[in-house]
Amino acid sequence: MDDFPPQPTEQSPPPPPPNQTGSPTDFLKNVVGKKVIVRLLSGVDYRGILSCLDGYMNIALEQTEEHVNGVVTNKYGDAFIRGNNVLYISAAEPL
Amino acid sequence: MQLIFSVFKTLTDQTVTVELKNDLSITGVLKSVDQFLNIRLDNIKVSDENRHPHMMAVKNCFIRGSVVRYVQLPAEHVDTQLLEDATRRGVFCIRGSPSGC
Amino acid sequence: MEPAVASGIQEPFDLIRLSLSERVFVKLRGDRELSGILHAYDGHMNLILSDVEETVMIVDTESNQTINYAKRKWEMLFVRGDGVILVSPPSRS
Repeated sequence: MDDFPPQPTEQSPPPPPPNQTGSPTDFLKNVVGKKVIVRLLSGVDYRGILSCLDGYMNIALEQTEEHVNGVVTNKYGDAFIRGNNVLYISAAEPL
Repeated sequence: MQLIFSVFKTLTDQTVTVELKNDLSITGVLKSVDQFLNIRLDNIKVSDENRHPHMMAVKNCFIRGSVVRYVQLPAEHVDTQLLEDATRRGVFCIRGSPSGC
Repeated sequence: MEPAVASGIQEPFDLIRLSLSERVFVKLRGDRELSGILHAYDGHMNLILSDVEETVMIVDTESNQTINYAKRKWEMLFVRGDGVILVSPPSRS
């Protein structure tokens, strides 16, 4: 009973490069204030500047364009998107 | 989350029209509502009876909150200023509701 | 929290709060759109609107083209939040 399983050695984990990899939360923090594409489950895209978002993925966008099948179908100064409709948020400019 | 619940409670005994997600519209007297916004209606009348003939004999009903799309409210019994103030303050119950505050 | 971009809003619901007593545009599931004056909302995006006009897009499934609009109006309307896709306030200039 003195045979302990080997402990994970404290080798220095590579520090994550700032702003690049990291958790989904880090991604979201970095993308606030940037141009993003929000795709909804319906396939509709919203392109705009991400003002902010909350834990439900409710999203506030500025200067928003609605794209359906690649065609701009609407423009909004501000838009609140209810989080349950969101499929993904994608950065539309380099972070 | 209680604000809308309180609004419906103040509308008890008023006539409302509930439109369901399956497009069925039911007008009736609001008898009660709960925290899920389930609704009990009395003296009901279905708007398009030709399309829903099976509803003609139904006099009252319980509507599960989740199937509701819209509720048309009697505007004269809705104090919009009070609603806006309560919403801004994040107050989740309003004066005149039976629950009191 | 991050300072919000050029607008002073910290969370998405601030956008909606600033729209109270203003006319808002609401996009709903089922190809529906509403325009109405916002009087109340909650965390589910349940809404109470007045002077509401609904536009239902009737889409031809074959060609996928919008072929018709149906319009309705109400004086005061409760909208259940689970159908809401998007709310757009009047433009703040």
